[in-house]
Amino acid sequence: MNYMPGTASLIEDIDKKHLVLLRDGRTLIGILRSIDQFANLVLHQTVERIHVGKKFGDIPRGIFVVRGENVVLLGEVDLDKECDQILQRVSIEEILEEQRTEQQAKQESERLKLQAVKERGLSIPKADTLDDF
Amino acid sequence: MFHFQSFDDDCTLEEEGLVGEEDEIDQFNDDTFGAGAIDDDWQEEHARLAELDERVRDGLHGTGDASSVDLPHPGGNAHSSALPQPSSSSQLYPDIDGRGGGDLAESLTRLILGSDPAIAGVGTTSSDRSRLPPMLSGQPPQPSALAGQSSLLLSYQQQQRLLHRGPAPLSQINSHSIWENSMGFSPVSSGLVTQKEDKTLMSIIKEVGLPNRPPTLSREEGRDLSERVPPPRSSSPVIGSPPVRAVPIGTPPKQPMSLIHNQHQQNNHPSTVHVRASVPLRYPPPFPERLSPNNLLSIANSPLSHPPFPAGVGPVLSQIQRAQLLNSQVGQFQRGPAPPLLQGGVGGFRPFFGPSGPRVGPHGPPLGHAPIRHNTTHLHPQHRRMLNQRMQNRGLGDHVGGRGVGDRKNRDPYSNLMTQREKEWVARIQMMQLQSTDPYLDDYYYQNYYEKMEKRQERDRDNRKEHTTKLITPQVAKLEHTYRPVQFAGSLGKLTVSSVNNPRKMIDAVVTTRSDDEEKREKQVWNKRRQILYTVEKMYSLLLEVQDFEKKFLQTPEHQRDALLEQHKTHTLQLYNSLREKEWDDRVSDEQCLMIMSVRKGKRLISRLLPFLPQPQAAAVLMGIARNLPALAKKDKQDQVLCWLVEPVTAVIQSMSSTSLTDLLQELQGSEGQLPLVLQNKFGVTLLYLILSEGERMQSSDPNCQLMDDNRWTELVFSVTRELLKVPSSALSSPLFTPPNLVSLFSRYVDRQRLELLQEKLQITALSR
Repeated sequence: MNYMPGTASLIEDIDKKHLVLLRDGRTLIGILRSIDQFANLVLHQTVERIHVGKKFGDIPRGIFVVRGENVVLLGEVDLDKECDQILQRVSIEEILEEQRTEQQAKQESERLKLQAVKERGLSIPKADTLDDF
Repeated sequence: MFHFQSFDDDCTLEEEGLVGEEDEIDQFNDDTFGAGAIDDDWQEEHARLAELDERVRDGLHGTGDASSVDLPHPGGNAHSSALPQPSSSSQLYPDIDGRGGGDLAESLTRLILGSDPAIAGVGTTSSDRSRLPPMLSGQPPQPSALAGQSSLLLSYQQQQRLLHRGPAPLSQINSHSIWENSMGFSPVSSGLVTQKEDKTLMSIIKEVGLPNRPPTLSREEGRDLSERVPPPRSSSPVIGSPPVRAVPIGTPPKQPMSLIHNQHQQNNHPSTVHVRASVPLRYPPPFPERLSPNNLLSIANSPLSHPPFPAGVGPVLSQIQRAQLLNSQVGQFQRGPAPPLLQGGVGGFRPFFGPSGPRVGPHGPPLGHAPIRHNTTHLHPQHRRMLNQRMQNRGLGDHVGGRGVGDRKNRDPYSNLMTQREKEWVARIQMMQLQSTDPYLDDYYYQNYYEKMEKRQERDRDNRKEHTTKLITPQVAKLEHTYRPVQFAGSLGKLTVSSVNNPRKMIDAVVTTRSDDEEKREKQVWNKRRQILYTVEKMYSLLLEVQDFEKKFLQTPEHQRDALLEQHKTHTLQLYNSLREKEWDDRVSDEQCLMIMSVRKGKRLISRLLPFLPQPQAAAVLMGIARNLPALAKKDKQDQVLCWLVEPVTAVIQSMSSTSLTDLLQELQGSEGQLPLVLQNKFGVTLLYLILSEGERMQSSDPNCQLMDDNRWTELVFSVTRELLKVPSSALSSPLFTPPNLVSLFSRYVDRQRLELLQEKLQITALSR
């Protein structure tokens, strides 16, 4: 409200804890310290949170400088609501393990699907990993 | 995560690695010390100088200093300032001491050895320098403090650079190191040289013009303020550019610097050396805007460094207080950077607390009033009203719960890393995007939305005065920035300077004309075509007006209708006139018509135009078309769009009189051999059939018609039939449609046999009557 009434701006969000979702799927949680006109972000005491199912694990990362174009969305974290979470927090190793398993399962299912499709004579074009446009 | 090296050193990690290799370093050494390459054993020289220095020190300070100088360095380095031999030093300096007239010498000695507290710290500084470029030192086993320092710190380039530097004022008492003061060495060199003919000494003393070590002071604050600005652009002179900013547009705001730094900043010339030689007394800003958290806490919490705060203000500033503080500080800085700074030391705390004191208490409403700047935002008044309402609500709500939030936030030491100024800067950039010269063009939906809301509110409530304000948007003039590169008369080419605002063309494309005759002809053709298109375009605009006439007619009030009608008439006349070239004839100018019709656009134009022309004129156009049909057909081969004309032509034909119809048929047949060509073209055939059918219709419907008055019609039809029979089927193109009454027409004029032939050929049956 102070700065740009009627517009969307990150200025009021400074020095508040935010959750940032990046284009590569990572979730960062940190205190937003600085911005610029491109919405490049400086996050302080950043933690990368990995979610697998109902569990999550935090990896402390320190200071992050994120280029604005890589941000999908970000939002302020309500510190009160953060305390009561349904999700279960686990250790880093465990969550990475879970993530790996999940990845493998996904790949397996993809492979089976592709095989089934091939058997029927169809072909699905492989989507690029970079699904920008 | 990050290992912060102590950046007090100038050396890099790579250079550190060089320490071990003796041979390499020696080589470097010889290269760097030019004299060393020429001269003999540098080791001797070093030893001598070391003695000299030591002796002088002993002479002035007693052994105490010497011992401090002689601190052995931490391991692995040969740069220990070991004890120089006193004997050799006496050889070098006796005359200096003795000579009274050598002012320079005196000043030199004083400088080197005198009461300069910087020297006292040499031991410590050189310990910092322990990892400095070893290639320079050349591993003198026992460097004197003097030579040792020189060799420790110098890089060859720095030497050269500083040789050219003028003498610097010696007032740099503030610094920790001797290096800033040692600028005074350079003028001495000349003096000494005259006195001493020792080349090696000269070389060494030349070296003594030492580099300026960037002041450590700024480092202690956590960052060097000048590093925030990218180096000034090297190629943007005033000529030809828009007003040059020393700082490119995209840079974030710097901290409010001292006056001196402002001066430096305003140089448009790049400074290659970060020599702060001319910086006089430099105090740390009293309340640096960017405090590292450690600093802030220490400053805030240490009771001894400044006069106690007014009672009631805790040692750790609350979030809001700090924000206010910075706000006021920014304000103060903007007023005048000098006064707060020169109050010196940490005592500057006081003025900042003054104005912010009374504001410390209630912080709800003041924050609420900061809000909308009326000069930067161009909001719709309705929007602004809504925002005000919202803010008031929030302000009331916050006032109660404000303290709780404030308490929670008061322990964040990293807050306000982004200063007020920076926030404003970002906000300003974002607001720039909202400026517009035509809000209805740029932000149509926004404007409409708020207007609707306004109307709705007006409807719901009773009409109040305040809601009927109209939006007056400030018109931001769109400035035309056309840049012409500067060119001096008679010079070859253009200036090579370029900047962000005036990028230089990489390729100067020059049009070269081809001198071929054929090319010329081609060009002529193209030019002509362009001209035709141009004419067509112009006619189109007229046509569009004519077409819109009806709509306009219905909309204009009664009294204006006459004027509109007149206008309409003139337009149509104009259109027709453009088809005629010469005024004397009622005929449509062939040339013009042909030209226009040769272009696809022109054909379309004519087809749209025909309905609007009055009868005689339309007929004339049609005549023209018929007359030139072969040519048109030829030109239409690529486009095949003549058939667009069928519809309007039909309409015209049906309104034609018999004589004109006959004339038309005649035109169509025109010169010898025209008809077969006509028959080859689809449109031609269609046209022919249309004419014939119309004639038939006339004959059959109106027994009194004048078609048969003269023999022309009959004759023409005869010739047509003759031609139709003669022409091979392949050369006869099928029409768009076949009028049903052709059979009856032909049955009038030809005998049965021929009729059957015709029927077969034209594939018309008697049934299609």
